Amino acid sequence: MQESKEKFIVPIGPQHPALKEPGHFEFTVDGETVTSATIRLGFVHRGIEKMAESRTYIQNLYLFERICGICSHVHATAFASGVEKLAGVTVSPRVKAIRTLFLELERIQSHLLWLGVAAHEGGFDTLFMYSWRDRETVMDIHETISGNRVHHSVNLIGGVKFDITPEQVKKSLKGLDFLEERAKYYEKVVTTDETFLGRTRNVGTMTKEQATVLSAVGPTARASGVQRDVRVESPYAGYPEYPVNIVLDEGGDLSARFIVRIKELYECFRICREILKNLPEGELSVKVPRRIPAGEVVSRVEAPRGELFYFIKSNGGETPERVKVRTPSLCNWSTISSVAVGHKLADMPMLLVGIDPCFSCNDRLVTVRQANTSQTMYWEDLRKYGVEYYK
Amino acid sequence: MESKKISAWANTMEGLKTWARINSPWVIHFNSGSCNGCDIEILATLTPRYDLERFGVKLQGSPRHADILLTTGPVTRQARERLLRVYEQMPEPKFVVAIGSCGLSGGVFHGSYNIAGSIDEVLPVSAFIPGCPPRPEAIIHGVVALLNSLKKE
Amino acid sequence: MEYETFIKDAEDILKKLGKDFQHPEPNRLDVYIDRTDLLAAAQAIVDAKWGYLSALSGLDCPAPKAEGQQPVEAGHLEALYHFCRMAAVTTLRVKVPYNDAHVPSICSVIPSATLYERELMELFGIIVDDTPIPDRLVLADEWPEGVYPLRKSFTGLDVPERAAQES
Repeated sequence: MQESKEKFIVPIGPQHPALKEPGHFEFTVDGETVTSATIRLGFVHRGIEKMAESRTYIQNLYLFERICGICSHVHATAFASGVEKLAGVTVSPRVKAIRTLFLELERIQSHLLWLGVAAHEGGFDTLFMYSWRDRETVMDIHETISGNRVHHSVNLIGGVKFDITPEQVKKSLKGLDFLEERAKYYEKVVTTDETFLGRTRNVGTMTKEQATVLSAVGPTARASGVQRDVRVESPYAGYPEYPVNIVLDEGGDLSARFIVRIKELYECFRICREILKNLPEGELSVKVPRRIPAGEVVSRVEAPRGELFYFIKSNGGETPERVKVRTPSLCNWSTISSVAVGHKLADMPMLLVGIDPCFSCNDRLVTVRQANTSQTMYWEDLRKYGVEYYK
Repeated sequence: MESKKISAWANTMEGLKTWARINSPWVIHFNSGSCNGCDIEILATLTPRYDLERFGVKLQGSPRHADILLTTGPVTRQARERLLRVYEQMPEPKFVVAIGSCGLSGGVFHGSYNIAGSIDEVLPVSAFIPGCPPRPEAIIHGVVALLNSLKKE
Repeated sequence: MEYETFIKDAEDILKKLGKDFQHPEPNRLDVYIDRTDLLAAAQAIVDAKWGYLSALSGLDCPAPKAEGQQPVEAGHLEALYHFCRMAAVTTLRVKVPYNDAHVPSICSVIPSATLYERELMELFGIIVDDTPIPDRLVLADEWPEGVYPLRKSFTGLDVPERAAQES
């Protein structure tokens, strides 16, 4: 008996459908229904882990920051904290607070970015424009304090580069107030807008069991009720002093993933305000030797997309022996390859975007297998297909 | 001898017509392995605060209709083929703008086993916009500067 | 602290399978095991619902240079399976020699390990037996076979094609 299978090769761009590559997913479709999914990465593989072995720890700070343009500070913090542990150095409360401030600001920026992209995937372009316009407020706060919108280079090994002035505090607080108002609007849209719910409710449902077994992390896991958040389970930086209330949703579907991320924004605002209003005292940096004592350390942090895992091995020299970086999107991809099965091809764009895949953290490929012929379907077409299907 | 003169004239006229089209260029973006920092700043140029479209520049998705290729990233081995293909699909006249430090020299990734280095090792680049990443204003400035220089010729 | 209990639990679960137990940090347990016990160890962790597989690191530990008359310790490759439960991290460490670099796949127990195993194979050249998808994950299609970038012997300065000929 011959099954009709279609093969679509769907290259996916990083964040916008108009962008070509570096993504390549492979879907096997039987008529309308997806029967299996695999991935192929490679477009953004820059050989970072290898390069790290021939650069000093300080040079590596700048390298790891640039793994991803969206979650750059969290990478640098994971690395710096890991090296500080190896060196037996403790940073001051002020340093921890400033690092945490930026970690939360980055989360706000990332979730707003994701909201816009996810909205665009579903055909809600106005929402995309709104959220990215609002995101500019966070970028302004970044720039006011650190001097750059992206890749703020806050960290040193042993501390942070700059302090926060009262002027900057005032400006940032104002920005946060504005953003909180906007977050309330977004919450209303994702929970009450019928068209939006039509594309997100009961789509891509992942049960708590599945999420646990498939090692889902981050908001993707929390949207299925799994209590997994490194800031809560294994607090680092300033989180012991500024604890996070974990945001969960039992829905497990795409709608839940939207809700979790927007609710997390409120937590971010709260923590940022607390830090800005009560910056603790402390030196901005402590001296760390160029040669880091030999040893192995594991550094785990909660990136906006989920758990980021760093394994650093030092051989006592100026350059690391090995640095292993496991980014959250790699974990969450496995959930897609299971959950996608049984869904319609038209659901794929929204499903993929639901895990908030970071293409530069792990670039991705999409192909849809077909028995005899192979068809290249641009992501834009797949997205339009999805939008049209649900009209 | 005369026929050669006529064809030269015809070519010049063609050239002038296409230069005129550059007034409202269609732009396509390609990520050859970047961290997304530059790509997001490019996308940000579309949003209301920067609004690239008021300069007559339209960001769209197909190489076959594009005049300018905005490319980011240090050109990984896997992306190199596709970058070339996108460029080949573009009709003449076409221009390449390399955005970000990675586009200039490979940026922090210079020397890695998996990257080609600067974009101009793969394609002829008309303009480089430095920065890590360059601000949306810088990107707009670079693209507009390129357009103005073309108009002058 | 809570993680101390978790670490104790992990030790109990693995005490029959592990050869050596170490605590590099208060919240971490390193368990050195033979590759023949890897699958059983992974199964034991999953059955006890002790955390989740967080990452799979590879390590290349080449033989140190010989000094005078001292015998040289043979180099080896190592695969580290990191499991996380709250703040506790248990790592299963499997050492394999260069000339017999194989480990069994744990995908029958933990399906999501497939991506990590693919990466381990192409970057370190440790063959994961019976892994469901052996395709490349991050290296380019044109990258030559047999050249493993994360091995210390690959300096990155050579053209990989030449490195393949030399190895």
